[in-house]
Amino acid sequence: MDFDFTEDQVMLRGLVREFLTEQAPVAHVRAMMDDERGYDPDIYRRFVQLGMLPFPEEYGGAGLGMVEQAIILEEMGRIPYPGPYFATVILAGSAIMASGDEQAMARYLPDVCNGDLTMTLAFLEDSIGWGPGEIALAAKKDGDAYVLNGIKRFVPFGHTADVILVAARTGSSGAKGISLIAVPRDAAGLRIDKDVISDLTEKSATLHFDKVRAPAENLLGAEGGAWPALETMLQHAAVGASAEMLGASRKSLEMSTDYAKVRKQFGQFIGQFQAVKHKLSEMLVAVENAHAATYYAAWALDADAPDAALAASVAKSFVNGASRKVCGEAIQVHGGIGFTWEYDLHLYFKRAKYFEPMYGDLEEHRERVLQEVLAGHISG
Amino acid sequence: MDLNYTAEDKAFRQQVRRWLEENIPKKRPETLDERRAWHRKLYEAGYLGMGWPKEYGGQEARPMEQAIVGEELARANAPVSLNGLGIGIVAPTLIHHGTEHQKRNHVSKILTAEELWCQLYSEPNSGSDLASLQCRADVDGDEFVINGQKIWTSGAVIADWGILLARTDRSAPKHQGISCLMLDMHQPGVEVRPLKQISGSSEFCEVFFTNVRVNADNLIGEMNAGWRIAQTTLSYERGGNVLSRVVRLQEMYDRMIAVCKALKRNGKPAIEDPNVRQKLGEIYAEIEVLRYSALRLLSRLEKGQRPGPEASISKLHYSELDKHVQELFLDILGPYGLQTGGLPPEYALHADSDFGEAGSWAYSFFWSRAGTIYAGSSEIQKNILGERVLGLPKEVREDRIALAQKAAAGD
Ligand SMILES: Cc1cc2nc3c(=O)[nH]c(=O)nc-3n(C[C@H](O)[C@H](O)[C@H](O)COP(=O)(O)OP(=O)(O)OC[C@H]3O[C@@H](n4cnc5c(N)ncnc54)[C@H](O)[C@@H]3O)c2cc1C
Repeated sequence: MDFDFTEDQVMLRGLVREFLTEQAPVAHVRAMMDDERGYDPDIYRRFVQLGMLPFPEEYGGAGLGMVEQAIILEEMGRIPYPGPYFATVILAGSAIMASGDEQAMARYLPDVCNGDLTMTLAFLEDSIGWGPGEIALAAKKDGDAYVLNGIKRFVPFGHTADVILVAARTGSSGAKGISLIAVPRDAAGLRIDKDVISDLTEKSATLHFDKVRAPAENLLGAEGGAWPALETMLQHAAVGASAEMLGASRKSLEMSTDYAKVRKQFGQFIGQFQAVKHKLSEMLVAVENAHAATYYAAWALDADAPDAALAASVAKSFVNGASRKVCGEAIQVHGGIGFTWEYDLHLYFKRAKYFEPMYGDLEEHRERVLQEVLAGHISG
Repeated sequence: MDLNYTAEDKAFRQQVRRWLEENIPKKRPETLDERRAWHRKLYEAGYLGMGWPKEYGGQEARPMEQAIVGEELARANAPVSLNGLGIGIVAPTLIHHGTEHQKRNHVSKILTAEELWCQLYSEPNSGSDLASLQCRADVDGDEFVINGQKIWTSGAVIADWGILLARTDRSAPKHQGISCLMLDMHQPGVEVRPLKQISGSSEFCEVFFTNVRVNADNLIGEMNAGWRIAQTTLSYERGGNVLSRVVRLQEMYDRMIAVCKALKRNGKPAIEDPNVRQKLGEIYAEIEVLRYSALRLLSRLEKGQRPGPEASISKLHYSELDKHVQELFLDILGPYGLQTGGLPPEYALHADSDFGEAGSWAYSFFWSRAGTIYAGSSEIQKNILGERVLGLPKEVREDRIALAQKAAAGD
């Protein structure tokens, strides 16, 4: 057993950090916060072209595993990187792969791999919740097309994605009647409103479908058979979100520690006060545990371990709490300066907060943990 | 023990409620002029500076009456008055420590919001350790000359006057060389730069002084007695008006209940979700305990007992509680809690769009992070409670060691 990263993984992290800190320094991040699109397509394309994708080599991917993707996402959480990597690769990408639909892979992945195509996946509707029962947006077969009616909320980079995979209801209620249908962003009848959310580096949109027609060949996998792929997608998203929150947390811890070593009050460094020292130590424990939880879960997905689903939910529920604590206490340790817009700390605070409810909140994942335990899907 | 309101208190509450029903502006005041007009109304009704002596425009009202007005204002979601710092902190300080001339000149103008005030205490290098402040006020004839910088000054952009702590004796031990002054913010040499906060709004500022001249009669209290005066100010700031905080939270809570009936979680109204119910129960219980503690404090105030360092108990309690409660609100809302605008009206905090972004759950959540920093951070409150209420031995601290060494060398 070896819980350390391989040499290749260490190199990958180095490469990602170098690229992102050079190409997406905080001045860039702040510029993108005010940008309509919210990211720079050129930076995104060049990043992807470095071989930062999981997909099989035959489609131009680098065959990266979830551990590697978690490394990339952790680094993105530290920037925090504004762009559609999570949406394209973790959401749409893992759903396409899990659907097993080779036609769809051949159709989308080569363009995704050379960075020309960005995608996203539309799941949430009015109701908050990530179970199959939440999907109500109707897709009715009409000749050789599906007609989509309904609303999708909080679609990451839904306002810029070239293709949106829509989780839609084609049949009966419950898990059996759900299909994935690809809809181009410029489809007639699709109205896209950008959301106003607190993390300005993570843009999302509300999508209104009014008789949107998608040709039948845009269906991924079998009609009514998308739920297992969506479940896999949600596991990847939960681990990916944990990695982003881990990155934001570790960065917040580093900034706070550095600050506690230089900021003086009462004639001494604030890090000399036990109140501050203990706080930082607790933050460290939370971050290290979040690391263990995230990478265990990433490995379990790669290894197809019997406890992969369990580990994904353990990670998301734990890291939600850990990042909330760490990023929040970081502001406290900084005092007044931590409450300013100019200081970068709030960027990480908001990035971590953004991922808390996404892809299952603490309680949903605790519930899943229990379900997996009761089903006996635990570590061998 | 009797925790009922008296008949007199109840009648007073009815009277305030009626007044508010009749007088709250239909359109929320936005411009400074509109806000002044509303402030003026409150003043004329006698609802501002209620506890002050009559000769300075107050009503000599009982703490209970003040609390009732605070509660009713919050309950009616009334626009806030202007000059919160002036009325809450500066005027009481002047009434305690000011000269007759200062009181006559400023207290009633603070009350009517003719003069808006800010608090010029914190500096870049002196926050928790306020007594280390470096901004200087040098005596030149019958004037002080002010040079230095202040930071995090709330409301400095619109302020006409500031209450300033500055160093007047550089050789004295740090607590003993500070004086408290009133300063006209509109004079040459005063430069105000707004700072943006994580909420996206800009309430606090940096303030720079270059050779600003202040007449000696603007000194509050004795020369070099500024630290003691600052303690008065801070005790008012920390005391806060806890009951109006309670009501503000109750208002948010009621709104959340309505939202939870509309909001669906896992296919059912959120109000039926066991996790949401646990949180809603938890929040209510927390707010209730805050209310009980506030009533306990109030009944002491009614007997003329002013809290000393115990004020830190309530400051620590309400600021940490606010942080927790706002977090729970966001948990219930899921991704809707991230929205700073454009929320579907049935989930929004204020159906009333007049509030703009400041009316969102997210905005309240961000602001809750400030309460444990300003007016003495939570860590400082805990030090005060440990050392000055529980009487624990003092923490060994570099500045205390230095002071002791200096004192020993002087002997
Ligand atoms: C929204 C807002 C509005 C404000 N408005 C005003 C205003 O109008 N006027 C004004 O003068 N000031 C104002 N302030 C400033 C506020 O009073 C200071 O931010 C506060 O005193 C903390 O000082 P600091 O920011 O320098 O943090 P620091 O004092 O540097 O504290 C940094 C960290 O060290 C900890 N720490 C410091 N000393 C100790 C110790 N002895 N033991 C344990 N831990 C310690 C603190 O708790 C904190 O976690 C405002 C601040 C905010 C956030």
